[in-house]
Amino acid sequence: MSTAGGGMESLIANLQAQLPSGHRIVTISFSLKHTFYYKRASHFELYSLTNFFKHWKQVLYRTDEFTLERTIPLDTEFKCEIDTASANVVTTDVFLKLSRKKVHLLFEMLPGFKANKFVDEVVKATEVANKKRAPPNFSWLEVYNPQLVWESGSDSEPVTSTATETDSSSHNCHDAIPTHLNQKADSELSSPDVTAHRSSIATGGATPIAARESVVRYQMALRETAYTDLRQISIFLGTYNVNGQPPTSGLADWLSVDKDPPDIYAVGFQELDLSKEAFLFNETPREDEWLRAVIRGLHPKGKYRKVKLVRLVGMMLIVFINEKHWAYVRSVASEFVGTGLMGKMGNKGGVAIRFDLHNSSLCFVNSHLAAHTEEVERRNQDYLDICNRLVFSTTFPTKSIKDHDQVFWIGDLNYRLSGDLDLLRVKELLDQSNYQALLQYDQFRAQHAARKIFIGYQEGPIQFRPSYKYDPGTDNWDTSEKNRAPAWCDRCLWKGDNVQVKDYRSHPGLRMSDHKPVSCFLDCGVKIIDTVRYRKIYEEVMKKLDKLENEFLPQVSVDSTEINFGTVSFNEGATKVLTVANTGQVPVQYEFIKKHRDSKYCKPWLTCEPYTGFLMPGDNSYITLEVLVDKRTAWSLNSGLDELYDILVLHLDGGKDIFITVSGQYQKSCFGCSIEALIQMHQPISQVAPGTVCQYEKGAYPSVDPGNDSDSKQPVLAVPKELWFILDELYRRGMDTPGLFEQPGLSSEIAAIRRTLDDSLPDTLPGSVHSVAESLLIFLETLKEPIIPFGMTQKALDGCAAFASCKSVYTSLPLSHQHVFKHIISFLKEVLLHSSKNGLDAKTLVALFGSAMIRLPPPNYPLGSSNSLSLNQPHLDRKRTTFIHHFLVNDLDD
Amino acid sequence: MARDYDHLFKLLIIGDSGVGKSSLLLRFADNTFSGNYITTIGVDFKIRTILLNGERVKLQIWDTAGQERFRTITSTYYRGTHGVIVVYDVSSGESFANVKRWLHEIEQNCDVVNRILVGNKDDMPDRKVVLTEDAQRFASQMGIQLFETSAKDNKNVEEMFNAITQQVLLTKKEQKEQASNLNDTITVGKGRKPTKKSKCC
Repeated sequence: MSTAGGGMESLIANLQAQLPSGHRIVTISFSLKHTFYYKRASHFELYSLTNFFKHWKQVLYRTDEFTLERTIPLDTEFKCEIDTASANVVTTDVFLKLSRKKVHLLFEMLPGFKANKFVDEVVKATEVANKKRAPPNFSWLEVYNPQLVWESGSDSEPVTSTATETDSSSHNCHDAIPTHLNQKADSELSSPDVTAHRSSIATGGATPIAARESVVRYQMALRETAYTDLRQISIFLGTYNVNGQPPTSGLADWLSVDKDPPDIYAVGFQELDLSKEAFLFNETPREDEWLRAVIRGLHPKGKYRKVKLVRLVGMMLIVFINEKHWAYVRSVASEFVGTGLMGKMGNKGGVAIRFDLHNSSLCFVNSHLAAHTEEVERRNQDYLDICNRLVFSTTFPTKSIKDHDQVFWIGDLNYRLSGDLDLLRVKELLDQSNYQALLQYDQFRAQHAARKIFIGYQEGPIQFRPSYKYDPGTDNWDTSEKNRAPAWCDRCLWKGDNVQVKDYRSHPGLRMSDHKPVSCFLDCGVKIIDTVRYRKIYEEVMKKLDKLENEFLPQVSVDSTEINFGTVSFNEGATKVLTVANTGQVPVQYEFIKKHRDSKYCKPWLTCEPYTGFLMPGDNSYITLEVLVDKRTAWSLNSGLDELYDILVLHLDGGKDIFITVSGQYQKSCFGCSIEALIQMHQPISQVAPGTVCQYEKGAYPSVDPGNDSDSKQPVLAVPKELWFILDELYRRGMDTPGLFEQPGLSSEIAAIRRTLDDSLPDTLPGSVHSVAESLLIFLETLKEPIIPFGMTQKALDGCAAFASCKSVYTSLPLSHQHVFKHIISFLKEVLLHSSKNGLDAKTLVALFGSAMIRLPPPNYPLGSSNSLSLNQPHLDRKRTTFIHHFLVNDLDD
Repeated sequence: MARDYDHLFKLLIIGDSGVGKSSLLLRFADNTFSGNYITTIGVDFKIRTILLNGERVKLQIWDTAGQERFRTITSTYYRGTHGVIVVYDVSSGESFANVKRWLHEIEQNCDVVNRILVGNKDDMPDRKVVLTEDAQRFASQMGIQLFETSAKDNKNVEEMFNAITQQVLLTKKEQKEQASNLNDTITVGKGRKPTKKSKCC
């Protein structure tokens, strides 16, 4: 599959074609996956997907095992959560919550590969759904909801998306589809919300060592000898080719000839049933007959439990274990492989049972390999096929025969005495019981010695007559037409450490078949865990990994956690640089995050640039912090509602948080105060105690009723003295200056004027007329409450058409505002008298002062019940201008 | 996701500045101790996995800045915490007196949480000012378990962390019992395994 598009489509079409007519592939993720893989267009991903479909195909054949309960589209409504650390659950299980609209499903799964794959696929598909801009159209799915109706005449039950997906995961075991856990973490990086990060850490989602569990298993396996002891258990291996015969006599002479009962029985049969029915349908009454015969024949001194029975056509393997060991048996599994006709059929092949006993893994194989003297290569091939193809798929991880501590291989291996030996000579040597001479011609020994088969396997010494071939019912060598040469067809082998053979024999007393049963009694050392030592070593391993995991947490150092800006003045920005260095071993994503309930990560007078970034190990990042107190924030600092103090939280994704304290002393200024407070200050603001300023500011505007401030304890100024100084300066110097109010001032001069006003009661102000003029506008703009207070803005704008209503706004202003208003109006009138010199006209002047005197309230300003002001800018400007203009052409005292 | 643990718990260490919160964490997670005092400016965590009654419990332990000025910020880290370790310094009466405030802080910020009281720096008998009896009496009144530890001498540290974990585990099991009948669950992978018939095709 080399191209992204067409190949995928044909794959789906192929799948579709293989279904019975009337059946459609119903799949949640098909279309989604489709787009997903288009988008990624990565060769590797496509390959994975192909495999995924391949396995899917297998599943589709086995339709009878699945039924459809419901289908759920994986659209934007669909949600999937893994609930691993649910506070209410005390199991090792994974809980997967799937929900879409009102459908909620809770899946309880054993953690493992299948669960992994299932979750993986669902998550991937969900992600794709969420990435799509337009909601996908699932109308085609409606046909299948709520109750799926299949066309009549189809006798098989439907295969469905949900069921198929579940199972597909189990068939996908060998595919290298990468897990997409990291994607989940990535998507959280952009989230500015602090809690999202933390919860992902808390659920272990951000574990940097991905395959920790397998590392633990590996480490523990390496140190196995340190925490296990060997205990000898006895095993009876028995193999019997019964030539299709029923059990007509007892099996005790084969199964219980030893003095002591074995701990484990592994009993294998071949040619259990030679009928066509057994061959074609794998069904036979013999299974039960022989099972019962075996049970009757087990050693009378032992009590046994059946571990497992597995049968493929005529090959059957039964494993029993002494009851006292039963509690330590784990992970029982069985498998079979057919190597017969066409290399597949079950007339030849192998069956196997595996399980763990204490800490040892045991595997028992019973095989029946190809017959006939000349078919040595076929036998070899059968053996290799069984080794390669037999995989226990239900264990995690999957195991093949070689992945066991001990393997016991029995069966009718069918190796003969090589054909060049004369039959008479064979029988002569047999009469002399000269087995050693004969064994030199044993094909098995030759192939084994040539390392073609059973590498690493051992066999006990053969001191018994060949088990094949006899006239049934007798101990006589075959006298039939075929006149087969005797051979040791039936063998017992083993591989692995700590096995000692006690006895290896045949049982000629059983005469039902043309073979004699063979058995091998051996001792096997099984690893038993010493729980105290195990615990100690397990903890050591865990500690090591914990240490590693801790070392792999993101780490940075900052050059300072206390940043002091010293004295900060109004409208004068100050910057400092914070250095963040990645001192850890992993890349770091850092970000300043919001504190609890705050709307921004820092106070409004502070900015951090950049506020988020990515750092490779060893790299530095420089963050510029700027403090700027402007008209938005000056009052809160003047009034003491805020201070130049903030704690920034520098958060490392998946790691710690560092607190950075930013502080400074704000130089209180007459800019950014309220009229009410300023008229109480007879001294320059820098000479008023900061607490007193706060007090004045907090006490300003107890109500907006006029005339109330006559209660004040100390006499107040008619207008703020700073306003008076500025206006006075302009009266004296500026009236005739061309470009007055139109030409901008210099910011350095404006700052000097502000400092002069803050620090003294000046006779003159520094700077050019233009700087003084701009200072006036800034002064008015930065007043906490504009001259027309926010609460009255609406009223002023609504009534701007008529002077009478404008005047009523004026008369309802607080007294101090009335004074200021009056002062400004007289000033403006005076300015206009000089318009021939300064070039100003009423329209320009009114526009300039309108925006300084009538301002829209800030977004969070409490306007009470009055409806919010929403005006477009030209509309607003026109109304403000009209309002002010009335006062220029009418006399206030009328 | 294959997991290497049966339970994952978040623990939080709180207490006055300088009582040895970070040292306790360092001793427990890395088995190290440093006499140099570095005040924690922020919130950090380490993980450690322990075996408790044969179950693997992964602990994510958060160490918080103890300074007063950080208190409002650190209180936001209480969310989702399973157990809180309140630490005082046995050689500082003030830090012990402040325990009540810390317990109050827990009440304000957590719904149900397990707590444990820890008197750290229990390694210099002549400097000890908070008597064991007083601390024990207080702990009993509050219904909390008391541990006197020394991160420096590695005394009682493992025991203390084991004890709080044990409490958390117990609480989780109780909650699980209460909630066991509330959910309908669909079992996947546990039920009957599909029986394979033949691989012939």
